[in-house]
Amino acid sequence: MPARTNRASATIRLPLYARHPAQNEPMLRANPSRRLDHRSPSRFLRITCWRLTLGLLASLATHACWAELVVSPTSVVLDRPESSQQLLVSFAKPGQRWTVDASRAATYDVVQPAIAAVDSTGLLQPRRNGRTEIIIRHDGQEARVPLEVRNLDNPAPVSFHNEIVPLLTKARCNAGGCHGKAEGQNGFKLSIFGFDAAADFSAIVKEGRGRRVSIASPDRSLLLLKGAAEVPHGGGRKIEPDGYHFTRLKRWIAEGARFDSPDSDQSRIVAIEVEPRQQSLLAGGSQQLRVTAIDGAGGRRCVTAEAEYESNASSIAEVNRRGLVEASDIPGEAAILVRYLGHVGVSRITLPRPDVTFERPPEVNFIDRLVWDKLQLLGIRPSDVADDATFIRRVYLDTIGTLPTSQEVRAFLADHRADKRQRLIDQLLERDEYVDYWTMRWLDILRADQLKISPQGTVAMQRWLRRQFQENRPFDEVARDLLTVQGSTTAEGPASFYKILRKPDEASRAISQLLLGVRIECAQCHHHPSERWSQADYVGLASYFTGVKIKKLPNGNEAVVSLGGQDLPHPRSGDAVPARPLGAAPSDFSTLNDRRVALADWMTSESNPFFSKALANRLWGHYLGRGLVEPIDDMRDTNPASNEPLMNALADHLREVRYDVRAFTRTLLNSRVYQLSARSNTSNAGDVQNFSHASYKTLPAEVLLDAINQSTGVAENFNGWPTGYRAIQVWDNRMPSYFFRIFGRPVRASVCECERSGEPSIAQSLHLLNSPEIMAKVQDRQGTARQLANSDLATAAIIDELYLGMLSRLPNDDERTLMLQAFSDAPSDRRAAVEDIQWALLNSKEFIFNH
Amino acid sequence: MWKIKLGSRPDRFCDGISRRHALRLGATGLFGSLTLPRLLELQAKAAAPAGVKAKSCIFLFLEGGPPHQDMWDPKPEAPEEIRGPFRPINTNVPGTLVTDQLPLCAKMADKYTILRSHSHRDNGHSTGYHYVMTGRRANFADGDNPVPNNDYFPALGSIVSRELGPRSTVPAYINLPHPMGAGGPGFYGAEYAPFVIESDPTQPDFEVKDLQPIAGLSARRIATRRRLLAGIDALERDVEGSAKTMSTYYDKARGLITSPAAKQAFDIHAEPDSVRERYGHTQIGQCALLARRLVEGGCRFVGVDAPGWDVHFNCFPSLQTDLIPYADRAFSALITDLEDRGLLDETLVVMMGEMGRTPRVNAQAGRDHWSMAQTVIFAGGGTKPGQVIGATDAQAAAPTTEPIGVNDLLRTIHTLLGIDPDRHYYGPLGRPVPLVDGGHVIRELV
Repeated sequence: MPARTNRASATIRLPLYARHPAQNEPMLRANPSRRLDHRSPSRFLRITCWRLTLGLLASLATHACWAELVVSPTSVVLDRPESSQQLLVSFAKPGQRWTVDASRAATYDVVQPAIAAVDSTGLLQPRRNGRTEIIIRHDGQEARVPLEVRNLDNPAPVSFHNEIVPLLTKARCNAGGCHGKAEGQNGFKLSIFGFDAAADFSAIVKEGRGRRVSIASPDRSLLLLKGAAEVPHGGGRKIEPDGYHFTRLKRWIAEGARFDSPDSDQSRIVAIEVEPRQQSLLAGGSQQLRVTAIDGAGGRRCVTAEAEYESNASSIAEVNRRGLVEASDIPGEAAILVRYLGHVGVSRITLPRPDVTFERPPEVNFIDRLVWDKLQLLGIRPSDVADDATFIRRVYLDTIGTLPTSQEVRAFLADHRADKRQRLIDQLLERDEYVDYWTMRWLDILRADQLKISPQGTVAMQRWLRRQFQENRPFDEVARDLLTVQGSTTAEGPASFYKILRKPDEASRAISQLLLGVRIECAQCHHHPSERWSQADYVGLASYFTGVKIKKLPNGNEAVVSLGGQDLPHPRSGDAVPARPLGAAPSDFSTLNDRRVALADWMTSESNPFFSKALANRLWGHYLGRGLVEPIDDMRDTNPASNEPLMNALADHLREVRYDVRAFTRTLLNSRVYQLSARSNTSNAGDVQNFSHASYKTLPAEVLLDAINQSTGVAENFNGWPTGYRAIQVWDNRMPSYFFRIFGRPVRASVCECERSGEPSIAQSLHLLNSPEIMAKVQDRQGTARQLANSDLATAAIIDELYLGMLSRLPNDDERTLMLQAFSDAPSDRRAAVEDIQWALLNSKEFIFNH
Repeated sequence: MWKIKLGSRPDRFCDGISRRHALRLGATGLFGSLTLPRLLELQAKAAAPAGVKAKSCIFLFLEGGPPHQDMWDPKPEAPEEIRGPFRPINTNVPGTLVTDQLPLCAKMADKYTILRSHSHRDNGHSTGYHYVMTGRRANFADGDNPVPNNDYFPALGSIVSRELGPRSTVPAYINLPHPMGAGGPGFYGAEYAPFVIESDPTQPDFEVKDLQPIAGLSARRIATRRRLLAGIDALERDVEGSAKTMSTYYDKARGLITSPAAKQAFDIHAEPDSVRERYGHTQIGQCALLARRLVEGGCRFVGVDAPGWDVHFNCFPSLQTDLIPYADRAFSALITDLEDRGLLDETLVVMMGEMGRTPRVNAQAGRDHWSMAQTVIFAGGGTKPGQVIGATDAQAAAPTTEPIGVNDLLRTIHTLLGIDPDRHYYGPLGRPVPLVDGGHVIRELV
């Protein structure tokens, strides 16, 4: 439907000329006269009128004293019968921070209607060759856009790839429920969402005994008859007989139903452009989008009517098939995803909370700046900074998976140095528990399942991980070791990772999700319509692992070796696909024995677009309770970060500190954003993705068990382990434990952190309230409760001690009064009172959650 | 939930505030206390619409996709690669045939109805599960998804438990023996999440953990503890997110601990061996038996997840030895038992999976996913028994009668339980979500 937007030779007929800041394209600014009567005066009079007002108003207009009507594009060329061009009309209201879309409110007139038609949405369609103008009027202003229609008698042939495939997609012919499903529908099978144009061409033109297209009599083609439901069609009418779908299909058939010639690469669409990319709307407001496809030669054509639209938060903003976004009345942000021929573009729609005066809180570092930027845009006020007691508990549990002891809390609360939080962060990063905790978390996602990789393999992996975190090795080096490891699976090292990833594509899938945050498994079977990765990318990545073998050693152990390897065949064509990393050029293995080295080089290179982002997002997700991209390891064009500038800045920062994970963590923990209170205010209570307040985080099963053990003073006896081991130190993921099961310890069956379930359940509540195990800990002879009861501490001091040890704070007066009742209930049984208080605190949400 | 209709449009603020209010009251009240909104709600729910018989539903979910043509929809005239090795047999309803793998069910086909024309368009396991349980297509890709995978739309069981409310201290919505893949409460929240026993009823030491009262705790101490915990709850600052969820679980857990009825319902050991034998010592058998006990005890919706039906490879030996006979035994025993106890009329039993299986046996002697045709079995709860509804073509590939979609099934189930399928609640962002999205009641069944 190509409407060519002629950018170079825009004929500007109106006096004022401006550049739209967002679109970087010449814009027309309308004559700002409001008294003009558009209907009655002759053209001559009108022009005279303009000239008169021009002199008076030119200077005023530049000062934006009133709304300026802005129309784009500045000129239109339509050169095919089925082409169309969306006009965008907007104006900036005085005092408004953003422009307002008037594409639906404006009225459009083509001066010579015989040349082109325009509908009420601002969509132009050609009728016959010629030149004319479109007059756009809105709110007493008007603008004119020159229009040329040409080549209608001799248009460029229809491109199957560029023009027919997206049409089949838009009409949903190739959707998963119709002809796009694996077995096709009633003998007619298209590739799902048109990822395989050659196969689709063959299905349409060659299969079905040639009945689907009739070049001699295009109208009799089954494709058209069925699509328009002129003969019975199970899917109903998918193509309107008078629409561009129909006319273009018909013209394509009449032109000989040809496939694009091999030299048509120039006309391949290489990118799409979505306008506007960012727009703020008021409640109930709307915005027409425009989508422009750009081909290899730089040619542009409007595909607004052909692209597909989807909102990722349709309760905030909805989008229809024509690309009109309509805002609801709920403040927030929605990303409108636009897809065309496998390309994806995003328009971000913001509905700011009205009437919020935003005072920027102080900034510690760039994290704060970028989060406040976003909150300011949305009109969300962040919470206050959390108090010291909340901070110490949070930073201990997050960083070292360990509850602070009552002595540690006392010392921190008593410290009056201004930089005490910073000091505490530094201390925690040097603690042994930091190593324990992060080793455990990485054992999970490295799939250290002792049943699969043997207990020796698990221990080897644990030792290796411990050393990495102990020495704080730069993460790019850690990743390189993981990628290129060779040798015994029982020697300290990550070799056993390859024991469960026996096939090349299993290894590449796991590595991609783990280290790049890219899930490519969908591309195994087909090129997912909205995603970047094709089957060629899938096998291209897998072939880095084709040299990996597990060898039996004479002593019965196993070792990983990687030598040689070969390129893998494309699953459909069978042609060998050269090994290439995601989105990069094929590798040269001439000097390499181990193909994986080339992958590691690419992954850890300065310019790799995924690696640092993936780790930065993983760490952010851990500490802030939610990734900027969520799920944290599912980065794709259609799943944008909730704060892109922050995502990029974090990735840059990680590179700047040379993948020093402790340094990066330090930056994160020192930010004001991390230290915000979980207490929300009226403006941020509903916010879940912009980090305006801290969130309640579920404690991992191991951390919760350790916290219970530490505060009751009773160590766990893990089956077969010496007493005194903490749950976060236990490598044996198969050790039977009801506690671990109901609180969601992962089984290490995937590299996804999502395996660790944070969902509460009744079984958990029952266990904490009523299980013999918890009861035994509270009543233990050597336990904290018994010791406190037997001590000579006063009752108030005992209550303080329990609060400090379990909730990391002192009780307030109400809480003291409440807890003293336990003692007055049982004046003769001090032990019972202490136990009951401990039991009650253990069952408080404040204890069970990190906040 | 307590809801006031203002004119024709239920006001969302009214609903929202009352719900939050109810939660707050619930959290500050003592154990099992009856708050005013709760009382009104129970009163409102006490009266079922006239003509409605079903009070509870047992939903046997054959996860993986049961092969309809090897069970309920035999095609003896089709070539062997389609009909498979099983032969049709007569049932006690003249003209109704099932395969020879269902001898027990065949003897009592007058007690249930076979619906052969169920069809939908989602061929994935987790996405199909999501579709069947919520009536909405999943917005995620098929694969290993977290359980439950329905984080927005509530599962059938959550809706039923919300609409009908508990009949006793037995939780209104239970999943056996593990959580159903798409059995979550979605935006309804934790209050309507299934209670999951997390224990296998076939095991000799089966018990629902942590339900027994702790030995050696005096009544006085129990009272003290309750008081302290209630005090903490009252003083605790407003908690959010999953911590709020946890609060509602605590309320449920306390209800369970203090209720003898609940403990009794879960005590499968109280069944005589002969009864346990009749259901079969299989997971589906013992879960079906436990489901009967729970329904007797007052549960509204028991969802049994019976996995293993995804038979892509060499399917006939396992269908013949494990899968179909176990289901045959469990289902026939359940229906007989419910009828003997006079519970069949008030208990709706549904048995289905997320899809049927491909007409043609594949090269690995298995059958693949086929959501275009599936057979669904209905019994009790006021359904008309002894029928066959709908038919499929000669290959059992697609319905030849009007296809019955997921929302038709859901609408029918709600209607049988006396629930208005068109009622709606507002999601977290203020959007109305009807209980069932479209669909028609299956007239032949009701």
